[in-house]
Amino acid sequence: MYIQSVIVTICTNVISVVGLALLTGYTGMFSLGHAGFMCIGAYTAVLTHLHLGIPYLLALLLGGLTAGLVGLIIGYPTLRNRLRGDYFAICMMGFGTVVRLIINNMNNPIVKGSTGISKIPQLTTLWSALFITAALVFFMWNFVHSQFGKNCLAVQQQEVAAEMMGVDIVKTKLISLVISAFYCGIAGALLAFWIQYISPNNFTDTKSNDFLATLVTGGTNSITGPVLAAALITTMLEYLRFLANWRLVIYGLLYVVIMRFRPEGLMGYREFSFRGTLRFFRELPARLKGIREKVTGRKGGV
Amino acid sequence: MIQILQQLVTSVSVGGLYALLAVGYALIYSVFDFTKLAFGGIMMVSAFAGYFATKLGVPTAAAMLVASAAGVLISVAVELLAYRPMRKRNANRLFLMISAMGVNIFITNLFLCLFGANLRALPTGFSSNTIALGPLRIGVVDLLSLIVSVVALVLLTFFLYRTRAGVTVRASALDMSTAGLMGIDVNRVSLIVFAISGITAAIAGMFFGMKYNVYPAMGSISNKAFIASVIGGLGSLKGAVIGGFLLGILEIMVTAYISATYRDLVSFAVMMIVLIFLPNGLFGMGDQNKL
Repeated sequence: MYIQSVIVTICTNVISVVGLALLTGYTGMFSLGHAGFMCIGAYTAVLTHLHLGIPYLLALLLGGLTAGLVGLIIGYPTLRNRLRGDYFAICMMGFGTVVRLIINNMNNPIVKGSTGISKIPQLTTLWSALFITAALVFFMWNFVHSQFGKNCLAVQQQEVAAEMMGVDIVKTKLISLVISAFYCGIAGALLAFWIQYISPNNFTDTKSNDFLATLVTGGTNSITGPVLAAALITTMLEYLRFLANWRLVIYGLLYVVIMRFRPEGLMGYREFSFRGTLRFFRELPARLKGIREKVTGRKGGV
Repeated sequence: MIQILQQLVTSVSVGGLYALLAVGYALIYSVFDFTKLAFGGIMMVSAFAGYFATKLGVPTAAAMLVASAAGVLISVAVELLAYRPMRKRNANRLFLMISAMGVNIFITNLFLCLFGANLRALPTGFSSNTIALGPLRIGVVDLLSLIVSVVALVLLTFFLYRTRAGVTVRASALDMSTAGLMGIDVNRVSLIVFAISGITAAIAGMFFGMKYNVYPAMGSISNKAFIASVIGGLGSLKGAVIGGFLLGILEIMVTAYISATYRDLVSFAVMMIVLIFLPNGLFGMGDQNKL
């Protein structure tokens, strides 16, 4: 049961991080409030399931779609004006805070404000979580390798040049925002039906930061990198639970160190493949030798 | 009427502190073109330094100096350790922002682990004193913070527009690489800018500590300053100051007449509305006209 719980948590994190990978990694927009989309997805799915009797899978989809719709509503005015990245980031942070505050203050018997909704039926199973995650990761993989993914990369690398080549920048950014919101919405819904309790305070800025940290660790221009990182980090955190708040200290340091020494992250611009891994290990002795020579050479020089 | 006036006095003093912090954001944005999200952490560390200094019996004015020194020290250290090596490699702005955020998370949680989350009152001796000005009652801390922030802003303007070092900063804000080619020591400029931002963060931190309390999560106040500088236009000093005062007035009025729970909601909503109609903020100009 414990292992199952870890795996489902990994799945939800993988979904959100893959969604964020499209927005932050491929399109190059920095978001500080994606937990807000998770919150919306979770609440929509749970409320429609409990009060309107919408079946589980449909509720998940509805959660994702609502999050996507909200993404569209928030994204259209902010992106239409070609807000610079920083403005967009603070808008998203504002969005995350606003969602949390609104739900916290809705003290009616349906939403229950900051008390949160408990006794949600546990409908997410290990297999449904795994299946949904696999499907979503597969979609995203195809998506970023399509013409659209190339447009996103072009926008991230050289916005002006991309526009000259006929890429509709606003549309590209908007689509990637909506899709990443959709992914986060589904992740939130999946999580809500697993842990059986949601409250707006489950979806704080810390959660948005967690996603970003995972993405950065995994590599911002890769799909398999963030997936691996999400799995690794979530498992690691389970075993490092005794560290409590120190884990956030490590997080912060991790950001700085990765950005300083390897900004492209774990996988960088490459994707994980078994052949590549084999090659990496075959070449490892040679590489280590090279590094050793470099180090000793430098020492000799001094 | 008296009540509105009373609230206005409080809000102007909060606005002064927002303005001070927002100027730090604007300064760094104008020179380096990235938003330094580590402000909150630096502000918190300097407030802690000031707190420990007063605990050791240092008078408040001197504690302010200690806090400023701590602010300068940590701000410059972060620049040297984290940002400069990245800038040297022409790192993506996104990466600089993530790194700054990392610094913030690191500092905040380090202090949380070391000192706990409890609130510490900054012992000043005059925190609760008020001055009666006709029917108005003005808190000494409010008055002092307003005076100090206005003086700091005036000094900063003087520095930027009347001294040689200030000219180099403004030149770098206009175009860093050209400024470098013209013989301006860009690395020195970056040290100056980060030192100034450390001082503004420290002053704001001390006064927020006196008004409210000193605690590890107090850095989140700097998000408000970020909003202020966005409303005013990123990279514009004038905009940052005006945005800071506007936000201060808005927040206190909402708290007083609507509800404290909706304060942040209203601030963010106003910011978004401003951005929808004025994508560059109130005074932000294109990339050509900074500072």
